[in-house]
Amino acid sequence: MDFFSFVEGPLLWVAFLTFAIGGLLRVALFLAISRKKDAVVYQHFSWKYVLATLAWWLLPLNKDVTKNPIFVTSAYVFHICLIVVPIWYSGHITLWEESRFEWTWSAIPDGLADWMTIVFLATALFLLLRRIISADIRFLSTFSDYLLIVVTAFPFITGYFLTHGTLDGVGFLGHNIDIIHMLSGELMLILIPFTKLSHFILFFFSRGATAVEFGRRGYSM
Amino acid sequence: MSQQADAKKIEDTSPKEMKVREVDPKEIMAFLKEKMGARFKMWLNICASCGMCADTCHYYLSSGKDPHMIPANKVRYLREILKKKGKVDRDFLEKVYNTVYHECNMCRRCTMYCPFGIDIALMISLLRSLLLSQGIAPEGLLQAIENYKEFGNQMAITKEDWVETIEWCEEETADELVGLKIPIDKKGARILYTVNAREPKFYPQDIMEVAQIFHVAKEDWTVSSDEGWDDTNLAMFCGDTRTAKMIVENTFKRAEELEVQQIAVTECGHAYRALRFEAATWLGYAPKQEVVHSVELFHDYIRDGRIKLKSKLKEPTTVHDPCNIVRSGGLAEKNRRLAEFLSEDFRPMKYQGNYNYCCGGGGGAIPMGGEMRKYRLASGKIKADQIRETGAKIVFVPCHNCIDQIRDLAKEYDLGIKAIHFKEAIVEHMQIPEEMLPKEDEE
Repeated sequence: MDFFSFVEGPLLWVAFLTFAIGGLLRVALFLAISRKKDAVVYQHFSWKYVLATLAWWLLPLNKDVTKNPIFVTSAYVFHICLIVVPIWYSGHITLWEESRFEWTWSAIPDGLADWMTIVFLATALFLLLRRIISADIRFLSTFSDYLLIVVTAFPFITGYFLTHGTLDGVGFLGHNIDIIHMLSGELMLILIPFTKLSHFILFFFSRGATAVEFGRRGYSM
Repeated sequence: MSQQADAKKIEDTSPKEMKVREVDPKEIMAFLKEKMGARFKMWLNICASCGMCADTCHYYLSSGKDPHMIPANKVRYLREILKKKGKVDRDFLEKVYNTVYHECNMCRRCTMYCPFGIDIALMISLLRSLLLSQGIAPEGLLQAIENYKEFGNQMAITKEDWVETIEWCEEETADELVGLKIPIDKKGARILYTVNAREPKFYPQDIMEVAQIFHVAKEDWTVSSDEGWDDTNLAMFCGDTRTAKMIVENTFKRAEELEVQQIAVTECGHAYRALRFEAATWLGYAPKQEVVHSVELFHDYIRDGRIKLKSKLKEPTTVHDPCNIVRSGGLAEKNRRLAEFLSEDFRPMKYQGNYNYCCGGGGGAIPMGGEMRKYRLASGKIKADQIRETGAKIVFVPCHNCIDQIRDLAKEYDLGIKAIHFKEAIVEHMQIPEEMLPKEDEE
């Protein structure tokens, strides 16, 4: 098996499984420990407050929207592009069709995927610069805060180069951009469960638990 | 007044160390293993350092935006202690002490703006508890804890003094309202009314005022002569859950013995939170009796016409939202509506309600006494600015700690306001039924 086949085969499996199983384990671990030690959340559990908080914070209906409109807008755009492009880009769907699963679903237009990629990279750059320029955010930031933005942006940069042939004439990079793109995506997937990127799933549990804590006082937050 | 007296007494600004001893890493880790819930670990893992919490904090804003004051930064110690597996020294714990006591009131405003809903105040509370396990806590709170253990109240008031004070309050007030009684240990009353021990000690008019309100509302109420009458729970502020439990147990035990339906809490914030929301966790069971705060009681009396107002305050008013009554108490609407009931010219603060700023006096800051004074006056600037912005002359403050703080702020920032409990305004403006008016011609 050559390196390309390894990256598009077994390594892809490893990446997806690490992401999926790792994410589920994070949740399982939270549930197992919280059952014992955060009894208050279970005693007062109420879907009403959990669903309300998730709706307010998944949609731009929360207080941060008016408090920090620029940051919040970029954060929403960042996350929407981050989820939509990899899942609904036609090239990715084609690969799923050709895979052993033969799964298929409708794609977004390639032009839109292009634009979303560019917008995503712009917001990623903005979030990175904000972290570097703002004295407050720089003070709070750890190495991984910077690194993870880069890790998340990398598949988008390489994906753009790959689909546009930007680097076609550039020797090693030009020849291997497809492998680099796959590797960057796999790296991100593998890192998700082990880093603060795990908020992709723990967000729901963190907000939910706090919503219950305030909900038992009679209001949604 | 009492707090200024305390402030003079306690000059020492270092925490009292119950016994100076080596930090025990094993003990720290065992403590964290037992007390640290899954939420805490998750929060430390996922905080994206986005900085949304920064400008929600009155310490951050009043310090000229010092990044050390960003709420997310204040819990860094917890992460560090875990990383170092508890191997920290006393100097490190002193730094933790400074942050968790002098730079946070545990008001939870940051949580309202955190995209992940991270409850920073709970983590601060855990750190305070951890410090206590290593023998470090503020002197003001430790003294109160001693008093609770010995006398059942934070002010070391004996049973005789307490009962005498109530009887005296009754005598003083009975002249004003015919038939007024302060029923002591009345079995089967609807409400067991509990006070802040500061009331018998320094503010007996609070007791007289509530007696008048209850009398006019024809409430069936009582007070307990025995331990449990002081509803404050200063042990909660330094994470001494054993004493905190003992305190609420006293009150619920008396409620049980007196067969009351409800426990009512005076205009005090943390007492309400302790009895209403935290007690079940400490006790391990949900008490039978409902716990109500004065704000909702008074609000409902006026709403339901049990108390009619003959007039309202003419001067512009505003209302403070004590964090343990509003954000952590759920009484935002009633607090505001009660203020509106009593005012001709009510002027809400910016962020009125669940999103209001802390006054800087919460989380034990007032009972900590002198060591906390400079920190709370500095951080209270945000509240002072908010009050000034409304142009109000009267500020309703339904909490004992907040009212001390806001009175201090009024002096410090020259606000030209008067901070009052709701009781005072209600007594002044309520309509007294004909039959309760003293008959002067009979004299």
